[in-house]
Amino acid sequence: MMDLAKPQVMDRATQSVQHAATQERGVAFVDALDGIMGSARATYDEVLASLPVPHRRVERWKYTPVASWWNEVKSAEPMTAAEAGCEPNPIPGFDAYRLVFVNGSFDAAASDLPVHPGVICMPLSQAPVESLQSIDQHQPEQAEWFAALNGKFASEGMYLRVEKNTILDRPILIHHHSTGGGSVSFLRHDLVIEANSQVQCVQWSTASDDAVGAVNVVTRASIGENTRVSLDKVQDEAGQIKHVAFEDIRQDRGSRADVHTVTIRGQWVRNDLAFRINGEGAHAELNGIFLPLDGEFVDNHTTVDHRVAHCTSSENYKGILYGKSTGVFNGKVFVRPDAQQTNAYQQNANILASDQATMNAKPELEIYADDVKCSHGCTIGQFDNEALFYARSRGVGLEAAKAMLVHAFIGEVLQGLAVPEVRLEVEHRLAEKHQWEIWSDHPDNES
Amino acid sequence: MLKINELQASIDESKILKGLNLTINPGEVHAIMGPNGSGKSTLASVLAGREDYGIDGGTVDFNGTDLLDMDATERARAGLFLAFQYPVEIPGVSNINFMRAAVNGKREHEGLDPIKGKDFLQMVKEKAKLVELDGRLRNRSVNEGFSGGEKKRNEIFQMAMLEPKLAILDETDSGLDIDALRVVSEGVNAMRSPDRSFLVITHYQRLLDYIVPDFVHVLVDGRIVRSGGKELALELEERGYDWIKQETVA
Repeated sequence: MMDLAKPQVMDRATQSVQHAATQERGVAFVDALDGIMGSARATYDEVLASLPVPHRRVERWKYTPVASWWNEVKSAEPMTAAEAGCEPNPIPGFDAYRLVFVNGSFDAAASDLPVHPGVICMPLSQAPVESLQSIDQHQPEQAEWFAALNGKFASEGMYLRVEKNTILDRPILIHHHSTGGGSVSFLRHDLVIEANSQVQCVQWSTASDDAVGAVNVVTRASIGENTRVSLDKVQDEAGQIKHVAFEDIRQDRGSRADVHTVTIRGQWVRNDLAFRINGEGAHAELNGIFLPLDGEFVDNHTTVDHRVAHCTSSENYKGILYGKSTGVFNGKVFVRPDAQQTNAYQQNANILASDQATMNAKPELEIYADDVKCSHGCTIGQFDNEALFYARSRGVGLEAAKAMLVHAFIGEVLQGLAVPEVRLEVEHRLAEKHQWEIWSDHPDNES
Repeated sequence: MLKINELQASIDESKILKGLNLTINPGEVHAIMGPNGSGKSTLASVLAGREDYGIDGGTVDFNGTDLLDMDATERARAGLFLAFQYPVEIPGVSNINFMRAAVNGKREHEGLDPIKGKDFLQMVKEKAKLVELDGRLRNRSVNEGFSGGEKKRNEIFQMAMLEPKLAILDETDSGLDIDALRVVSEGVNAMRSPDRSFLVITHYQRLLDYIVPDFVHVLVDGRIVRSGGKELALELEERGYDWIKQETVA
């Protein structure tokens, strides 16, 4: 019998060695932040010092260059969405509760907090510290330097408590906007959703064209028995923004958690998503799409930890890489000895739309139970030339034909987004970014 | 309509078409027959603009423009249509959206606004009737999971939607049972008109019982070695290709 309280091989290991020069840069970075951030928690100093600052010899960061993080940091200019010229609602007319943050600060005037029986929702800065989820050894802050950094500096985010048997009537939209030069925004979202409830969340990140800097987000969600939670995560950041995000999702018996990660735009993006399935009969769904253009970097690391029996997980990530872009996918699935009758599925398919694009993909399945069904598939290919020729021979232009194939390729993931308004806006923004005319050309769209 | 002059084409260094001449006037139906490997499908592919082939010489004039100077999209928009021998499956793209993109591509070429949803659906309904294309197939992904006959019917449906000036049917009869052959042929015949031409590529005379050609050409080793009326097809059916090959060599 395995003692789950003790870190196992499959827990995010911290044995990786530190790299002296990188470590120094990291320390200098922390010092610089210390000088400009309003608050810092000394409790994280020890773990920060013990963790390796990511470098190429840390397996989980092998394909993820972090050098651009060490650029000069500046303090964020406090700004409202209005002052930043940012539309608080990124989806026109989207009927949702809303928390708006600009450069890491909460903008109360632009927000519309949930008022609903059984729901407590407020900016983290107003939440009682003692009510935050306790720190334990399994959370990303204990294993990843960038997450520990968030632990030290994050003072804002969403605090959400949902009592059992609560069905929230509208999605909660968290919109973060970056603007201006050189600041690092830390956000920390702390969600506890009790049994038999339903909540939909949308995390939407934007940045102005001239934005320079970084965003570091940690989301922790504790999902109660028979509760259903979805998180649609959309990253659409212009300018030169580095974005690192950790999601730490814990699921109880019979729950279902969906996380969809859509990277529309971003100079440097690292998503690190971890599900811990602690109760039988739970299902985890994690899907993503990324379509980086020339010069963009998108990295999706995922971990699904099946700790108990009779659970299922389904994962589907799709990438289309243009120009000199780079993508990373790493999908880790643990099936612990007690997790019999697990059914885990993982798929990662990629299209290199340019011969200068790079994709690094790695499925990692560690299975310690013997009565399980685990399957995975990983492909890296190119556009189907036969299909392109077929479409062109019908008078469809080459670019339109490619757009059609792209839409088909990512269609199943788009369809899976929990909130329909999010899907439509994502399609719209993708079409705009890639100049696809054909995209919304659907007879059903017309009356 | 179409004037092919001394066309030479190759793939991967191997010469397939070795000086092919063919003239098709408006309203005419030409059939090309020939043994395996004679270059029939290559001709269809080269005319439709498949880029795997190299053009080594010759010219192709299509209604006064240089066909070889256009890419596949432009050729289609100029009114050339190829019904594929092996229609391509495109998972995730619905047949109807595919056709809408095609129809709008053509309209753009003609300086027209995109077709209205209602008009488009009306058009689909009409044209689908022509080849008895099941309503379900319109909303399914392009050719995905279609039977051989359904795929070929879908080709003719697409042709009817695009109303080309010149339609090339590349072994449209392959993989068809008698009923499907009849339906497909009737669809083609319904589209015959004084200003539309057809180039029918086939192995077998059978198709030509349904789509009666004005001219029959025999393609051997990359050249048209004999041309005649529809009776030439019957003669080929009876005697095979060997006698023509021998006469050609001699």
